[in-house]
Amino acid sequence: MSNKFSGQADKNQAADLVLQWVTFRLQEETYGINVMQVQEVLRYTEIAPVPGSPDYVLGIINLRGNVVTVIDTRARFGLPPAEVSDNTRIVIIEAEKQVIGILVDSVAEVVYLKQSEIDNAPNVGTDESARFIQGVANREGELLILVDLNKMLNDEEWDEISSI
Amino acid sequence: MSHLIASQKVIQHYLSALLTEDEPLASQETALAETKKAELNRLLAQAAPVENVVAAPVQTGVVQPVAKPKVAPVVTETAAPVAAPVLRERAIPIAERLAVTPPPQLKVEKAYRQGSFQALFFSVAGLRIAVPLTELGGIHELGPINNLPGKADWFKGIMLHRAQKIQLVDTARWVMPEKYTATLATELNYQYVIMLGTSNWGLCCELLIDTINLEPEQIKWREQEGKRPWMAGLIKEQKCVLVDVDELVKLLNQGLDVNA
Repeated sequence: MSNKFSGQADKNQAADLVLQWVTFRLQEETYGINVMQVQEVLRYTEIAPVPGSPDYVLGIINLRGNVVTVIDTRARFGLPPAEVSDNTRIVIIEAEKQVIGILVDSVAEVVYLKQSEIDNAPNVGTDESARFIQGVANREGELLILVDLNKMLNDEEWDEISSI
Repeated sequence: MSHLIASQKVIQHYLSALLTEDEPLASQETALAETKKAELNRLLAQAAPVENVVAAPVQTGVVQPVAKPKVAPVVTETAAPVAAPVLRERAIPIAERLAVTPPPQLKVEKAYRQGSFQALFFSVAGLRIAVPLTELGGIHELGPINNLPGKADWFKGIMLHRAQKIQLVDTARWVMPEKYTATLATELNYQYVIMLGTSNWGLCCELLIDTINLEPEQIKWREQEGKRPWMAGLIKEQKCVLVDVDELVKLLNQGLDVNA
Protein backbone atom coordinates (compact mmCIF):
# COMPACT_ATOMS: atom_id res chain seq x y z
CA MET A 1 0.00 0.00 0.00
CA SER A 2 2.77 2.46 0.80
CA ASN A 3 4.33 1.77 -2.59
CA LYS A 4 1.05 2.59 -4.27
CA PHE A 5 0.74 5.93 -2.51
CA SER A 6 4.37 6.95 -3.00
CA GLY A 7 4.03 6.08 -6.67
CA GLN A 8 1.05 8.38 -6.94
CA ALA A 9 2.93 11.19 -5.21
CA ASP A 10 5.82 10.76 -7.62
CA LYS A 11 3.43 11.02 -10.52
CA ASN A 12 1.95 14.20 -9.14
CA GLN A 13 5.35 15.73 -8.66
CA ALA A 14 6.49 14.70 -12.11
CA ALA A 15 3.39 16.28 -13.57
CA ASP A 16 4.38 19.69 -12.14
CA LEU A 17 7.98 20.01 -13.19
CA VAL A 18 10.03 22.82 -11.77
CA LEU A 19 12.07 24.54 -14.42
CA GLN A 20 14.79 27.11 -14.11
CA TRP A 21 14.75 30.23 -16.21
CA VAL A 22 17.40 32.84 -16.77
CA THR A 23 15.68 36.19 -16.83
CA PHE A 24 16.70 39.26 -18.78
CA ARG A 25 15.22 42.67 -19.43
CA LEU A 26 14.26 44.31 -22.68
CA GLN A 27 12.30 47.55 -22.89
CA GLU A 28 11.19 47.28 -19.26
CA GLU A 29 9.80 43.79 -19.71
CA THR A 30 11.27 40.69 -18.15
CA TYR A 31 11.83 37.64 -20.29
CA GLY A 32 12.86 34.15 -19.30
CA ILE A 33 14.83 31.53 -21.18
CA ASN A 34 15.53 27.92 -20.29
CA VAL A 35 18.65 27.77 -18.14
CA MET A 36 19.76 24.59 -19.87
CA GLN A 37 20.24 26.55 -23.08
CA VAL A 38 22.35 29.29 -21.53
CA GLN A 39 26.10 28.76 -21.79
CA GLU A 40 27.34 32.01 -20.38
CA VAL A 41 26.63 35.69 -19.97
CA LEU A 42 29.15 38.25 -21.22
CA ARG A 43 29.54 41.92 -20.64
CA TYR A 44 28.98 43.96 -23.73
CA THR A 45 31.89 43.78 -26.09
CA GLU A 46 32.42 45.23 -29.50
CA ILE A 47 30.33 43.47 -32.11
CA ALA A 48 31.77 43.47 -35.61
CA PRO A 49 29.08 43.90 -38.25
CA VAL A 50 29.00 41.39 -41.10
CA PRO A 51 28.14 42.93 -44.46
CA GLY A 52 25.26 41.26 -46.20
CA SER A 53 23.97 39.62 -43.06
CA PRO A 54 20.24 39.70 -42.22
CA ASP A 55 18.94 42.77 -40.43
CA TYR A 56 18.33 40.84 -37.19
CA VAL A 57 22.06 40.03 -36.98
CA LEU A 58 24.12 42.64 -35.18
CA GLY A 59 27.40 41.03 -36.10
CA ILE A 60 29.97 38.67 -34.64
CA ILE A 61 32.18 38.46 -31.60
CA ASN A 62 35.27 36.44 -30.87
CA LEU A 63 34.67 34.12 -27.94
CA ARG A 64 37.90 32.38 -26.97
CA GLY A 65 38.81 31.89 -30.58
CA ASN A 66 35.34 31.02 -31.76
CA VAL A 67 33.15 33.23 -33.92
CA VAL A 68 29.75 33.74 -32.36
CA THR A 69 26.94 35.49 -34.19
CA VAL A 70 25.03 38.01 -32.10
CA ILE A 71 21.31 38.55 -32.71
CA ASP A 72 19.57 41.89 -32.27
CA THR A 73 16.94 40.72 -29.80
CA ARG A 74 15.15 44.07 -29.75
CA ALA A 75 14.70 43.95 -33.50
CA ARG A 76 13.54 40.37 -33.25
CA PHE A 77 10.94 41.36 -30.70
CA GLY A 78 9.79 44.36 -32.70
CA LEU A 79 11.18 46.81 -30.18
CA PRO A 80 12.95 50.07 -31.00
CA PRO A 81 16.75 50.12 -30.72
CA ALA A 82 18.36 51.31 -27.51
CA GLU A 83 21.68 52.68 -26.43
CA VAL A 84 24.19 50.30 -24.95
CA SER A 85 24.64 50.76 -21.19
CA ASP A 86 26.75 49.31 -18.42
CA ASN A 87 24.03 46.72 -17.86
CA THR A 88 23.91 45.53 -21.45
CA ARG A 89 24.83 41.89 -21.77
CA ILE A 90 25.39 39.28 -24.45
CA VAL A 91 23.84 35.98 -23.44
CA ILE A 92 25.48 33.02 -25.16
CA ILE A 93 22.88 30.36 -25.83
CA GLU A 94 22.65 27.07 -27.62
CA ALA A 95 19.60 26.50 -29.77
CA GLU A 96 18.94 24.35 -32.85
CA LYS A 97 22.46 22.96 -32.48
CA GLN A 98 24.02 26.37 -32.86
CA VAL A 99 25.72 28.67 -30.39
CA ILE A 100 24.70 32.28 -30.79
CA GLY A 101 24.60 35.41 -28.69
CA ILE A 102 21.55 37.52 -27.92
CA LEU A 103 21.94 41.14 -26.90
CA VAL A 104 19.81 42.16 -23.92
CA ASP A 105 19.39 45.29 -21.80
CA SER A 106 20.35 43.45 -18.65
CA VAL A 107 20.36 40.03 -17.09
CA ALA A 108 18.48 39.61 -13.84
CA GLU A 109 18.42 36.29 -12.03
CA VAL A 110 17.62 32.62 -12.32
CA VAL A 111 14.09 31.85 -11.25
CA TYR A 112 12.32 28.60 -10.49
CA LEU A 113 8.89 28.08 -11.99
CA LYS A 114 6.55 25.14 -11.73
CA GLN A 115 4.86 24.05 -14.92
CA SER A 116 1.53 24.85 -13.30
CA GLU A 117 2.60 28.45 -12.82
CA ILE A 118 3.04 28.96 -16.55
CA ASP A 119 0.06 30.10 -18.61
CA ASN A 120 -0.24 30.19 -22.35
CA ALA A 121 0.17 33.57 -23.94
CA PRO A 122 -2.99 34.88 -25.63
CA ASN A 123 -3.24 33.71 -29.20
CA VAL A 124 -3.56 37.07 -30.87
CA GLY A 125 -1.55 38.50 -33.72
CA THR A 126 0.15 36.70 -36.55
CA ASP A 127 3.41 38.52 -36.28
CA GLU A 128 6.47 36.39 -36.82
CA SER A 129 7.84 37.44 -33.48
CA ALA A 130 4.84 36.06 -31.63
CA ARG A 131 5.66 32.43 -32.28
CA PHE A 132 8.49 32.18 -29.79
CA ILE A 133 6.54 33.33 -26.79
CA GLN A 134 6.17 30.10 -24.91
CA GLY A 135 4.04 31.36 -22.07
CA VAL A 136 3.71 33.85 -19.24
CA ALA A 137 4.05 33.57 -15.51
CA ASN A 138 3.39 35.78 -12.52
CA ARG A 139 6.55 35.97 -10.51
CA GLU A 140 6.13 37.92 -7.26
CA GLY A 141 3.82 40.43 -8.86
CA GLU A 142 5.86 40.78 -11.99
CA LEU A 143 5.00 39.28 -15.34
CA LEU A 144 7.59 36.96 -16.79
CA ILE A 145 7.42 36.34 -20.53
CA LEU A 146 8.93 32.97 -21.37
CA VAL A 147 10.74 32.59 -24.64
CA ASP A 148 11.30 29.44 -26.67
CA LEU A 149 14.75 30.11 -28.06
CA ASN A 150 14.45 27.41 -30.70
CA LYS A 151 11.64 29.37 -32.29
CA MET A 152 13.37 32.73 -32.24
CA LEU A 153 14.39 32.01 -35.78
CA ASN A 154 12.71 29.88 -38.40
CA ASP A 155 14.52 27.05 -40.15
CA GLU A 156 15.67 29.25 -43.01
CA GLU A 157 17.02 31.83 -40.63
CA TRP A 158 18.87 29.23 -38.59
CA ASP A 159 20.47 28.01 -41.81
CA GLU A 160 21.41 31.54 -42.73
CA ILE A 161 22.99 32.13 -39.32
CA SER A 162 25.03 28.98 -39.59
CA SER A 163 26.62 30.20 -42.80
CA ILE A 164 27.85 33.49 -41.36
CA MET B 1 -37.34 -6.57 -41.73
CA SER B 2 -36.36 -3.89 -39.31
CA HIS B 3 -35.19 -1.86 -42.27
CA LEU B 4 -38.61 -2.21 -43.84
CA ILE B 5 -40.37 -1.05 -40.67
CA ALA B 6 -37.95 1.81 -40.24
CA SER B 7 -38.41 2.99 -43.78
CA GLN B 8 -42.17 2.83 -43.41
CA LYS B 9 -41.94 5.02 -40.34
CA VAL B 10 -39.87 7.50 -42.22
CA ILE B 11 -42.36 7.52 -45.07
CA GLN B 12 -45.13 8.22 -42.54
CA HIS B 13 -43.15 11.08 -41.09
CA TYR B 14 -42.58 12.48 -44.52
CA LEU B 15 -46.22 12.21 -45.52
CA SER B 16 -47.45 13.73 -42.29
CA ALA B 17 -45.04 16.61 -42.80
CA LEU B 18 -46.55 17.24 -46.21
CA LEU B 19 -50.02 17.25 -44.76
CA THR B 20 -49.21 19.46 -41.80
CA GLU B 21 -51.08 22.77 -41.56
CA ASP B 22 -49.17 25.93 -42.36
CA GLU B 23 -47.09 27.09 -39.45
CA PRO B 24 -44.48 29.77 -39.36
CA LEU B 25 -42.27 28.29 -42.05
CA ALA B 26 -39.01 28.73 -40.20
CA SER B 27 -40.01 26.90 -37.02
CA GLN B 28 -41.79 24.17 -38.89
CA GLU B 29 -38.92 23.52 -41.18
CA THR B 30 -36.38 23.73 -38.39
CA ALA B 31 -38.22 21.21 -36.23
CA LEU B 32 -38.84 18.94 -39.16
CA ALA B 33 -35.27 19.18 -40.35
CA GLU B 34 -34.02 18.25 -36.92
CA THR B 35 -36.38 15.30 -36.65
CA LYS B 36 -35.45 14.09 -40.07
CA LYS B 37 -31.81 14.50 -39.39
CA ALA B 38 -32.00 12.49 -36.20
CA GLU B 39 -34.01 9.80 -37.91
CA LEU B 40 -31.61 9.78 -40.82
CA ASN B 41 -28.60 9.42 -38.60
CA ARG B 42 -30.19 6.55 -36.73
CA LEU B 43 -31.10 4.73 -39.89
CA LEU B 44 -27.75 5.33 -41.51
CA ALA B 45 -26.08 3.84 -38.49
CA GLN B 46 -28.14 0.69 -38.93
CA ALA B 47 -27.98 0.50 -42.68
CA ALA B 48 -25.30 -1.25 -44.71
CA PRO B 49 -23.10 0.95 -46.88
CA VAL B 50 -24.98 2.20 -49.88
CA GLU B 51 -23.51 2.69 -53.30
CA ASN B 52 -25.00 4.54 -56.22
CA VAL B 53 -28.28 4.82 -54.45
CA VAL B 54 -28.82 8.29 -55.77
CA ALA B 55 -29.31 6.84 -59.21
CA ALA B 56 -31.38 3.84 -58.11
CA PRO B 57 -34.68 3.47 -59.96
CA VAL B 58 -37.99 3.87 -58.19
CA GLN B 59 -39.66 0.61 -57.14
CA THR B 60 -43.08 -0.16 -55.65
CA GLY B 61 -44.17 1.91 -52.73
CA VAL B 62 -42.42 4.97 -54.10
CA VAL B 63 -43.41 8.39 -52.99
CA GLN B 64 -43.29 10.87 -55.78
CA PRO B 65 -41.23 13.92 -55.00
CA VAL B 66 -43.19 17.01 -54.24
CA ALA B 67 -42.04 20.45 -55.30
CA LYS B 68 -41.61 21.79 -51.80
CA PRO B 69 -38.10 23.15 -51.80
CA LYS B 70 -37.21 23.19 -48.12
CA VAL B 71 -38.79 20.09 -46.66
CA ALA B 72 -36.30 17.29 -46.09
CA PRO B 73 -36.75 14.29 -48.36
CA VAL B 74 -36.99 10.71 -47.09
CA VAL B 75 -33.95 8.65 -46.40
CA THR B 76 -32.67 6.31 -49.05
CA GLU B 77 -32.83 2.61 -48.30
CA THR B 78 -29.97 0.22 -48.94
CA ALA B 79 -30.11 -2.11 -51.93
CA ALA B 80 -30.59 -5.31 -49.90
CA PRO B 81 -31.42 -8.72 -51.40
CA VAL B 82 -34.92 -8.45 -49.91
CA ALA B 83 -37.24 -6.42 -52.11
CA ALA B 84 -37.34 -3.44 -49.80
CA PRO B 85 -38.80 -0.34 -51.38
CA VAL B 86 -36.21 2.09 -52.66
CA LEU B 87 -37.28 5.65 -52.81
CA ARG B 88 -36.39 8.06 -55.50
CA GLU B 89 -33.90 10.58 -54.28
CA ARG B 90 -33.95 14.20 -55.08
CA ALA B 91 -31.11 15.68 -57.07
CA ILE B 92 -29.32 16.87 -53.94
CA PRO B 93 -28.24 14.26 -51.33
CA ILE B 94 -30.34 14.27 -48.18
CA ALA B 95 -27.65 15.13 -45.65
CA GLU B 96 -26.58 18.04 -47.78
CA ARG B 97 -30.12 19.36 -48.05
CA LEU B 98 -30.57 19.09 -44.32
CA ALA B 99 -27.29 20.89 -43.75
CA VAL B 100 -28.20 23.66 -46.18
CA THR B 101 -31.14 24.91 -44.12
CA PRO B 102 -29.66 27.15 -41.47
CA PRO B 103 -31.59 27.92 -38.30
CA PRO B 104 -32.48 31.58 -38.60
CA GLN B 105 -32.49 32.30 -34.88
CA LEU B 106 -29.54 32.62 -32.53
CA LYS B 107 -28.40 29.35 -31.05
CA VAL B 108 -28.37 30.40 -27.42
CA GLU B 109 -31.05 32.60 -25.94
CA LYS B 110 -29.48 34.91 -23.41
CA ALA B 111 -31.19 35.14 -20.04
CA TYR B 112 -31.16 38.93 -20.12
CA ARG B 113 -33.31 38.89 -23.26
CA GLN B 114 -36.21 37.47 -21.31
CA GLY B 115 -36.91 40.34 -18.98
CA SER B 116 -35.56 43.56 -17.57
CA PHE B 117 -31.87 43.69 -16.77
CA GLN B 118 -29.24 46.15 -15.73
CA ALA B 119 -26.43 47.25 -17.99
CA LEU B 120 -23.24 49.12 -17.30
CA PHE B 121 -22.55 51.98 -19.68
CA PHE B 122 -19.00 53.12 -20.29
CA SER B 123 -17.31 55.29 -22.85
CA VAL B 124 -14.28 54.98 -25.05
CA ALA B 125 -13.16 57.85 -27.26
CA GLY B 126 -16.62 59.34 -27.08
CA LEU B 127 -18.31 56.08 -28.02
CA ARG B 128 -20.75 54.65 -25.50
CA ILE B 129 -20.87 50.90 -24.97
CA ALA B 130 -23.05 48.84 -22.65
CA VAL B 131 -22.49 45.48 -21.03
CA PRO B 132 -25.19 43.45 -19.22
CA LEU B 133 -24.36 43.49 -15.55
CA THR B 134 -24.89 39.74 -15.30
CA GLU B 135 -22.06 39.26 -17.78
CA LEU B 136 -19.70 41.69 -16.16
CA GLY B 137 -16.74 39.99 -14.54
CA GLY B 138 -15.60 43.03 -12.63
CA ILE B 139 -14.17 46.50 -12.97
CA HIS B 140 -10.57 47.32 -12.17
CA GLU B 141 -8.53 50.44 -12.27
CA LEU B 142 -6.00 50.28 -15.04
CA GLY B 143 -2.58 49.48 -13.65
CA PRO B 144 0.86 48.73 -15.06
CA ILE B 145 0.71 46.99 -18.41
CA ASN B 146 3.14 44.36 -19.59
CA ASN B 147 3.63 44.40 -23.33
CA LEU B 148 3.93 41.17 -25.26
CA PRO B 149 5.83 41.41 -28.53
CA GLY B 150 4.25 40.43 -31.80
CA LYS B 151 0.66 40.67 -30.74
CA ALA B 152 -2.19 42.37 -32.58
CA ASP B 153 -2.36 46.17 -32.46
CA TRP B 154 -5.53 46.09 -30.40
CA PHE B 155 -3.90 43.91 -27.77
CA LYS B 156 -2.57 46.33 -25.18
CA GLY B 157 -0.80 43.77 -23.03
CA ILE B 158 -1.21 41.95 -19.78
CA MET B 159 -2.05 43.53 -16.47
CA LEU B 160 -1.40 41.58 -13.31
CA HIS B 161 -4.20 41.84 -10.81
CA ARG B 162 -3.64 39.65 -7.76
CA ALA B 163 -3.44 36.14 -9.19
CA GLN B 164 -5.02 37.03 -12.48
CA LYS B 165 -3.30 37.89 -15.74
CA ILE B 166 -5.75 40.24 -17.40
CA GLN B 167 -5.48 40.43 -21.16
CA LEU B 168 -6.19 44.02 -22.09
CA VAL B 169 -8.03 45.13 -25.19
CA ASP B 170 -7.46 48.58 -26.64
CA THR B 171 -11.21 49.00 -27.00
CA ALA B 172 -11.12 52.02 -29.29
CA ARG B 173 -8.74 50.23 -31.62
CA TRP B 174 -10.74 47.02 -31.58
CA VAL B 175 -14.16 48.55 -32.05
CA MET B 176 -13.33 51.29 -34.53
CA PRO B 177 -9.97 50.58 -36.13
CA GLU B 178 -10.77 52.82 -39.10
CA LYS B 179 -11.02 55.85 -36.82
CA TYR B 180 -7.99 55.00 -34.73
CA THR B 181 -5.46 57.66 -35.62
CA ALA B 182 -2.20 58.67 -34.02
CA THR B 183 -3.98 61.70 -32.60
CA LEU B 184 -6.67 59.55 -31.04
CA ALA B 185 -4.04 57.26 -29.58
CA THR B 186 -2.40 60.16 -27.76
CA GLU B 187 -5.73 61.55 -26.59
CA LEU B 188 -7.06 58.31 -25.16
CA ASN B 189 -7.00 58.20 -21.40
CA TYR B 190 -7.86 54.67 -20.36
CA GLN B 191 -8.58 54.46 -16.68
CA TYR B 192 -10.59 51.31 -16.09
CA VAL B 193 -10.78 47.72 -17.22
CA ILE B 194 -14.16 46.09 -17.80
CA MET B 195 -13.78 42.34 -17.28
CA LEU B 196 -15.69 40.14 -19.70
CA GLY B 197 -17.52 37.42 -17.83
CA THR B 198 -15.25 34.81 -16.31
CA SER B 199 -12.60 35.23 -19.00
CA ASN B 200 -9.24 36.90 -18.60
CA TRP B 201 -10.18 39.52 -21.18
CA GLY B 202 -10.69 43.10 -20.12
CA LEU B 203 -11.88 46.04 -22.18
CA CYS B 204 -10.06 49.26 -21.47
CA CYS B 205 -12.36 52.21 -20.99
CA GLU B 206 -12.02 55.88 -20.25
CA LEU B 207 -15.13 56.63 -18.27
CA LEU B 208 -17.75 54.68 -16.38
CA ILE B 209 -21.05 56.37 -17.10
CA ASP B 210 -23.93 54.69 -15.33
CA THR B 211 -25.83 51.52 -14.62
CA ILE B 212 -29.30 51.57 -16.14
CA ASN B 213 -32.18 49.16 -15.92
CA LEU B 214 -33.33 48.15 -19.40
CA GLU B 215 -36.41 46.41 -20.75
CA PRO B 216 -36.11 44.03 -23.72
CA GLU B 217 -38.27 46.29 -25.86
CA GLN B 218 -35.80 49.13 -25.40
CA ILE B 219 -33.29 47.19 -27.43
CA LYS B 220 -33.17 46.40 -31.09
CA TRP B 221 -31.89 42.86 -30.76
CA ARG B 222 -29.61 41.23 -33.28
CA GLU B 223 -31.81 38.49 -34.63
CA GLN B 224 -29.61 36.67 -37.04
CA GLU B 225 -26.15 35.24 -36.85
CA GLY B 226 -23.59 36.64 -39.18
CA LYS B 227 -21.97 40.02 -39.02
CA ARG B 228 -21.05 41.68 -35.76
CA PRO B 229 -21.68 38.68 -33.50
CA TRP B 230 -20.19 40.63 -30.60
CA MET B 231 -23.21 42.95 -30.65
CA ALA B 232 -26.21 41.68 -28.71
CA GLY B 233 -28.18 44.63 -30.00
CA LEU B 234 -28.57 48.38 -30.10
CA ILE B 235 -30.03 50.29 -27.18
CA LYS B 236 -32.54 52.58 -28.81
CA GLU B 237 -32.69 55.51 -26.45
CA GLN B 238 -29.02 55.75 -25.70
CA LYS B 239 -28.13 54.81 -29.28
CA CYS B 240 -25.32 52.61 -28.22
CA VAL B 241 -24.15 49.03 -28.58
CA LEU B 242 -25.02 46.31 -26.11
CA VAL B 243 -22.17 43.82 -26.09
CA ASP B 244 -22.69 40.06 -26.37
CA VAL B 245 -19.92 39.13 -23.98
CA ASP B 246 -19.70 35.44 -24.87
CA GLU B 247 -19.38 36.15 -28.57
CA LEU B 248 -16.84 38.89 -27.96
CA VAL B 249 -14.73 36.58 -25.83
CA LYS B 250 -14.85 33.96 -28.60
CA LEU B 251 -13.55 36.48 -31.11
CA LEU B 252 -10.81 37.66 -28.78
CA ASN B 253 -9.74 34.09 -28.02
CA GLN B 254 -9.33 33.57 -31.73
CA GLY B 255 -7.31 36.74 -32.05
CA LEU B 256 -9.96 38.32 -34.27
CA ASP B 257 -11.00 41.94 -34.39
CA VAL B 258 -14.24 43.69 -35.25
CA ASN B 259 -13.67 43.13 -38.95
CA ALA B 260 -13.57 39.36 -38.59
